[in-house]
Amino acid sequence: MKITDKLIASIDKKLERFDPLWRAEHGQGGQRSRYYDKTGIEKYREWRGVKDTMYDYSIWLKNLGSMGLMVARNPVRVVKGIWEYRWMGSYLGTFIFINRLYEGYRGDELRVAHMGMHQIVASLTRLIGRVLANDKRLGGGPLSDTIVPMDEVIPPLFMKGFKGLTGIPLQLLPEFIICDIDQQLPPHYIDVAESFGLAADVCSRCAVETGVAFDDAFPIFGKAFLTTNMPCNASECTSMFQRRRVDLPDMPLTFAMQHNTKEGNEYSVQILKDAIDFVEEQYGVKYDWDNLFKYAKELNEQNTIEMEKWEFFKTPYSPLSGISETMYKLYEWAAANGTEHRFTKNDRKVIKIMRKCYKEKYLPFGGKTRHRAFMWGPSAVYYTDMPTWCQNCWGITLVLNMDSTMGHNMISTEDPDQAIKDLARMSEKAVMRHHAVGGWENVNALWAWAKSFNCDMILFNDNIACKGMNGVHAVMEEQARELGLHFIFIEHDLEDNRSCPRRDMRKCVNNYMSIVLNEEPLDPTLVDFDDSEAY
Amino acid sequence: MKKGLKLSSKVLSRLLIAGLIGFVTTFTVYMFNLENKLIYYVIRPFLNKHYDSQVRDRRIV
Repeated sequence: MKITDKLIASIDKKLERFDPLWRAEHGQGGQRSRYYDKTGIEKYREWRGVKDTMYDYSIWLKNLGSMGLMVARNPVRVVKGIWEYRWMGSYLGTFIFINRLYEGYRGDELRVAHMGMHQIVASLTRLIGRVLANDKRLGGGPLSDTIVPMDEVIPPLFMKGFKGLTGIPLQLLPEFIICDIDQQLPPHYIDVAESFGLAADVCSRCAVETGVAFDDAFPIFGKAFLTTNMPCNASECTSMFQRRRVDLPDMPLTFAMQHNTKEGNEYSVQILKDAIDFVEEQYGVKYDWDNLFKYAKELNEQNTIEMEKWEFFKTPYSPLSGISETMYKLYEWAAANGTEHRFTKNDRKVIKIMRKCYKEKYLPFGGKTRHRAFMWGPSAVYYTDMPTWCQNCWGITLVLNMDSTMGHNMISTEDPDQAIKDLARMSEKAVMRHHAVGGWENVNALWAWAKSFNCDMILFNDNIACKGMNGVHAVMEEQARELGLHFIFIEHDLEDNRSCPRRDMRKCVNNYMSIVLNEEPLDPTLVDFDDSEAY
Repeated sequence: MKKGLKLSSKVLSRLLIAGLIGFVTTFTVYMFNLENKLIYYVIRPFLNKHYDSQVRDRRIV
């Protein structure tokens, strides 16, 4: 053993009593002992041993550097943006968010998690900077009229065919990403929407987007807007509110709801063709298939690596799982979608680590996984770190989730006619559309997914306001019983933490694990706690 | 030559000291979660007060 290794081992031994995993194992507290009650603020960061703590610290510096760069590029606009928009203030909670996500992570699972998250931070800070620099509410900028605002569930790759234009998902910053970071933010916008008469039982995602529109909290850029009916008719409605308030000419991309048919795909292809005509007319830029093909190659490589990742997910040796997989895949699909090379580079590095872990039969999370779970249903975004809690408290590893099974089809890089069919297919299978409201056979595919990924458990996210998924509860439970799978329904209200708080969501899992399975928690401090005032 | 060596060792030692101070400071902030405590207990309450006082009507005419 080298001298440095001996030194590190002796420091680790002396300081192990500060490691919350060690404390939980030895009945001296656990993860939650480090927190101030209710606030979700750590008294001190997690001690993970010398190597992992130094690694975590170095990534913290790196992420801080990305944020510093964003401010340094345009300090006036960033400050103006924070002063103007409530959602910008919420982005200050990013580090608290990252700490929550990777609590209890060590070794290779910590590394692949941070590798992915840093790409998200780097990409997001650049996007925030670009948006604020060109926001017409703040005075506009050189790119104000070359940005095409589009709905967050339209895959951005499609816009790469317009050289010189940038497609930016309009709701991404003020709603899609930020609701993961700060659970206290969406209720404000929901209340704004409801103060104008919006019913209180609609999907809270749509309510938040409507509230952001009415609160004049969308950044404004571009000359025309691509809206959509995705994933459901609540989104159609919120698109209508947004187009009125944003007050730009718009074109709704109404992809086929029932899309598992040839006719459905043909319809969606026509929608995309109409969208191309619309943008060409509004912006005076011709669609360039060669430029699209360049970025489609990136996405295809990402998807090829993704398919290899799936093979590792089926084994107990994958360091990538849970929220580190979910968050990365969702951002990569929704915000990047082949348009940023950094994600391809990251995928190449991560797959090397995964191959190494498989070869070495590396068991993540200290080998304490007791159950392999597949997660279905739109996740409560006010509890993004629930998979981490499931892992740390009950040893439930989230192998894969519904959202990660979308967007993996290849895009032709030679034939425009095939490429547009492939893009339409990708758009049809967007988040929540394909799996929740796009037809019963897609929901019922859950069992095949769970079986092929060697899962013994299903965590079913039950959005209480989702009319598309209403009524499936009993049917799914019955089928789970017949198939011999552990099945836990976790009620939530997507972005509204008031109806089903995080604590109540944890109770759903606690009740099943303790009463039905009669298991003891890995970390008793995590079973029940109050995080009502946390971000 | 000797002068040059003396100068570069002076610069190096100052850089090392600066690096050590930087590491100790940043690691302290990191380990004791100081930046998040500042944000949660000071900055965000201040910003929230400002946001709550805003009268929102920012339509671009």
